[in-house]
Amino acid sequence: MIKITNLNKIFNENTKREFHSLKNINLEIKTSSCVILKGISGSGKSTLLSIIGTLLKPTSGEIKIDDESIAKLPDLHASNFRAKKLGFIFQSYNLFNELSVKENISIPLIPLGYSQKEIDVMCLNALKLANIEHKKDELVFNLSGGEKQRCAIARALVNNPDIILCDEPTANLDYDNSIQFIESLKNLKKLNKTIIVATHDPIFEKLDFVDEIINIKNGKICE
Amino acid sequence: MNNILLSNEIVIFLFVQIVLFILLFIAFYFSLSIIKNWDYDKTTAKQYKLEKTSYLVILIISFTLIVKIFLFPYFAYSLDNLSNIVPGAMCAAGIVGANEFGQINLSLKILILFFIGIWLIINSLDLNAKTYPYTKKKFFLYVFIFLLCVVETILDFLFLNSISTKEPVMCCSVIFGANSIGSKIPFDLSIQMLLILFYLLYFLNVITNIQKQAFLNLIVNFLFLYISYYAVTYFFSTYIYELPTHQCPFCMLQKEYHFIGYFIWSTLFLGTFFGITSYFLKLTINNNSTYTYKYSLIFNSIFVFICSFYVIRFYLINGVFL
Repeated sequence: MIKITNLNKIFNENTKREFHSLKNINLEIKTSSCVILKGISGSGKSTLLSIIGTLLKPTSGEIKIDDESIAKLPDLHASNFRAKKLGFIFQSYNLFNELSVKENISIPLIPLGYSQKEIDVMCLNALKLANIEHKKDELVFNLSGGEKQRCAIARALVNNPDIILCDEPTANLDYDNSIQFIESLKNLKKLNKTIIVATHDPIFEKLDFVDEIINIKNGKICE
Repeated sequence: MNNILLSNEIVIFLFVQIVLFILLFIAFYFSLSIIKNWDYDKTTAKQYKLEKTSYLVILIISFTLIVKIFLFPYFAYSLDNLSNIVPGAMCAAGIVGANEFGQINLSLKILILFFIGIWLIINSLDLNAKTYPYTKKKFFLYVFIFLLCVVETILDFLFLNSISTKEPVMCCSVIFGANSIGSKIPFDLSIQMLLILFYLLYFLNVITNIQKQAFLNLIVNFLFLYISYYAVTYFFSTYIYELPTHQCPFCMLQKEYHFIGYFIWSTLFLGTFFGITSYFLKLTINNNSTYTYKYSLIFNSIFVFICSFYVIRFYLINGVFL
């Protein structure tokens, strides 16, 4: 369960460029549910996702994941938390072009202290789940957009996280690849993962496996 | 202006001290606000801001205190160099004894080093925990250290400004000489008794460290520090200088003796520091870390080894003891 209470985020506080990105957000996301954060660019959905992902700290408010307060975790503990509990899928994939698919996927496991044998097994599982096993030795540079996104999915899954955070995952994909991505999400839901997608893509609006669509406008949740 | 204040080493020393003092003062100002308002359980904007401020203040304090640790041996080195311009002084001993502020200034610097060490350990434990459990305590300790630093800075100026380059000072001339031995060692101990106590306390030190007895370790380390100072000055130093009448705690800092004094005094300080710290951590933050016992044992053993080495080496070369 993710519980967000009175969350605010202000960028450039007390300056001329001050921007109130999130305003008093209160939200509960149940374990193993799939939630869509919907809103136009600048509405605050990516900021909310980043705060849930401990990449950003709020200006005020509280976030609890499975009863653990994560908003104020010190950097070291936040990194450990991300490495063990969270998987990220980004709009621009955030992959290393010069490395192979398998190497990209194995990177999150290196700091966790697994042996090479364990890393190989975990990578293979993630490659299978993301349906990119056949390209494991290919350089990311040579992949298509859809394949890169599947590689990103594999990377997000490799540490077997409970929560998957997706930030505009279909923004750089064509329709067919977007449908494939949605199929992947559906499979992840079957694995009891909690999935949070921040998007403005209408393709996510009428999906049978989505539990809730949350509209965000000007940093506020709209009923 | 006093010639001492214009010497190169002292100009550098005072400049660094002043810069550090300004940084410490800035940190002190913010520390008061952190102590007053810190409540980790709150999720208000004020608390989040305090956490950010605290992070920056900790960086300033850590940097400043670490520089202060390195400044101490530089201070000893500077005093040693001043012996070239102060008549009668042969090493830092003469400079420290040049006026009434020298000894107290040196003792205060060592005390501050001790508290800096404690602060750095508590800070590291605090930053490694999830909820910053020792933040208030470490800022209280910092305020105390800052106040000591204020006194230290005043004493630095008083001490250095009061050293005359015209009036001769007494240096190793008092320490030299067999007659002085009996009166200088506490409780009129003979050298033999001093050595027996030295090795006995080291032995007790090993036992209390292995058994992890915090309070006993504290007592034994205090006694060991006290006895070691005299044992080094009145016995081991004569083997370092290879002269039975040369008893000085400072000459061994000079190049002539391969700067061995820095190793001897720093290992003694670190050994006793970690020994005493175990109890302090237990008392202040109820922490039962065992690594301090290990470090205490290691540094005290190195200290005893270096001291004993000079005696054994002298015996092996000359076939006699001094």
